[in-house]
Amino acid sequence: MSGLVLRLAALVALASVACATPRGAPGALVDIRPEERPAPDSDEAGLWMEMDRVEESLRTSGHLVTDASVNTYVRDVVCNLATEYCGDIRLYIVQTPHFNASMAPNGAMQVWTGLLLRIDNEAQLAYVLGHELGHYLRRHSVQRWRDARTKTNVAAVFGVLAAAAGQGYAGSLAQLVALGSVLQFSRDNEREADEIGLELMVKAGYDPREAAKIWSALDKERRAGKDSQPLIFFATHPPTDERIETLTSLAAKAYTPDRDWADGREAYVRAVRPRRATLLRDDLRLRDFARTEVLLERLLAAEPGSGQLYFFQGELYRLRNGAGDPARALGAYERAAATGAAPPETYRATGLVLMRQGDRERARAAFGRYLTEAPEAEDKQMIQAYMEQLR
Amino acid sequence: MRPLLAATRPSLWLLSLTVALSGCAQSTVLLRDQNWRRTPGAVRVVVMPPDVQVSELTAGGLLEPKADWTESARRHVAAALEQQLHAKGTTVLPYEAPASGGADEAADIQLIKLHDAVGGAIIVHKYVPALALPTKADRFDWTLGTGVRQLQERTGADYAVFVFFRDSYASSGRVALMVGAAILGVGVPGGRQVGFASLVDLRSGDILWFNRLINPAGDLRTAEPAGKAVQNLLVELPL
Repeated sequence: MSGLVLRLAALVALASVACATPRGAPGALVDIRPEERPAPDSDEAGLWMEMDRVEESLRTSGHLVTDASVNTYVRDVVCNLATEYCGDIRLYIVQTPHFNASMAPNGAMQVWTGLLLRIDNEAQLAYVLGHELGHYLRRHSVQRWRDARTKTNVAAVFGVLAAAAGQGYAGSLAQLVALGSVLQFSRDNEREADEIGLELMVKAGYDPREAAKIWSALDKERRAGKDSQPLIFFATHPPTDERIETLTSLAAKAYTPDRDWADGREAYVRAVRPRRATLLRDDLRLRDFARTEVLLERLLAAEPGSGQLYFFQGELYRLRNGAGDPARALGAYERAAATGAAPPETYRATGLVLMRQGDRERARAAFGRYLTEAPEAEDKQMIQAYMEQLR
Repeated sequence: MRPLLAATRPSLWLLSLTVALSGCAQSTVLLRDQNWRRTPGAVRVVVMPPDVQVSELTAGGLLEPKADWTESARRHVAAALEQQLHAKGTTVLPYEAPASGGADEAADIQLIKLHDAVGGAIIVHKYVPALALPTKADRFDWTLGTGVRQLQERTGADYAVFVFFRDSYASSGRVALMVGAAILGVGVPGGRQVGFASLVDLRSGDILWFNRLINPAGDLRTAEPAGKAVQNLLVELPL
């Protein structure tokens, strides 16, 4: 065979890749129906199977929040939004201090505790959960998988042709372009999910103007935090400003003053407040103090004079321990104590800072107060040993 | 807030990579004790649910998990395991999920996950000379720990067999790409079958025997080649 014939044969073989690729082009799919399960031989069933495996892992994870009251609360909000899809969604609350929620194609929904800490009310929760339900209803995972498959197929053919032509680097460029384009597709999914989230929250009677507020708040935190530079090319999400703008204009269209809109702040506070100390402690473990500072200021604006929040401001300064921080910490603990509703740990922390400063007498008094407030404290013996040393 | 796509565990990528690196050695069996023999008399073996996943390799090189293929592969592998262990004269106890469910079932799932992790570590550190651990150079003493005892108490078995398989097949598009690329003189890899298995002492948790398999052909989706794969994997099993 001549070289030309070989080359033609190769091109025919490569061209047939596109024809042989099963199933149609990426793009809109029919919304999933309640109780629908994918056909066993479909790519969708494969994704479900993979996520069943991940879900099994999640179900037996030590990071799962098992507390019944908060699970029931979030679950009820999910069902209120999902209506006839309620039975298809399985909720997993995961204890991790980052703001996130996710939706697997098989109906496994994750809500991270960092999200529960950061929202102001039930309306904001409803928007996030509605957004995740949007991913489920529109089968975004399947759409994204098909999109990635098509684009990497094209990139692979291009890569082989480029390699045969002695331009090996062109192949990796094609893969990079395919990756960027897959991520662009994912940003479009996010936009669509935002629209559905807003629609569902409006249908359930939540004030749609709450949705955009989360993003402004998170953006302020992000700017203060360690990772303030977003990776533009690889971002899977629409830019925050654009997102806020879109949500604000959608909310303006949906909001009518004659309707009785709810923000559900009280129900949210009732369900999440009992866990908040744990969530704040988790957040401090990230040691991203400037970011936590912004978060605490925001929480205090919504709840002025909270003994718990003043205490955690003190904890932030005590742990950061930079120039001037011990004095700041003591100031915050004093503010907490002045509310009359400070957690007992406020006095222990005061004692620790004073002990470090060499103020033996006041440290001893603070430790004494701690043991008065919490006579059954687990660290009672250690505190008593400190008090003995400070005598 | 993004939809979760198929989460890939980095350990599995590492695994298939190191398996590929290590090539096909002659004997791949590892024994805790070269002279170990099963206790005389009846031996009861519980076959843990095999961790099997079968995927299609797309033209672009993505692994697309296939639910129907995986389901039949899992069935064939489990049946072949039972049949071949039975042929060795052992009493085979098919795995049954604990009636109590909940925490017991979670413990079993954790055990299978633990075996995946330990098996992955064995593959990396025992089959790839460059990654050998100095403290484990002249011994094979990996264990799943005494947490296996609850399985022993519940089933009454002496040993458990754990099996892990990942299998992939080139899609028709991938085959076309491979053919085209080959004509142009460019190499494009196709699908492959990798697996490993352990015999675990249910009193100590120790892995007594371990083997791994790598096969560029093979087919777990149909009964006969699946039986062959299990047979190749169970070679030199001291039972």
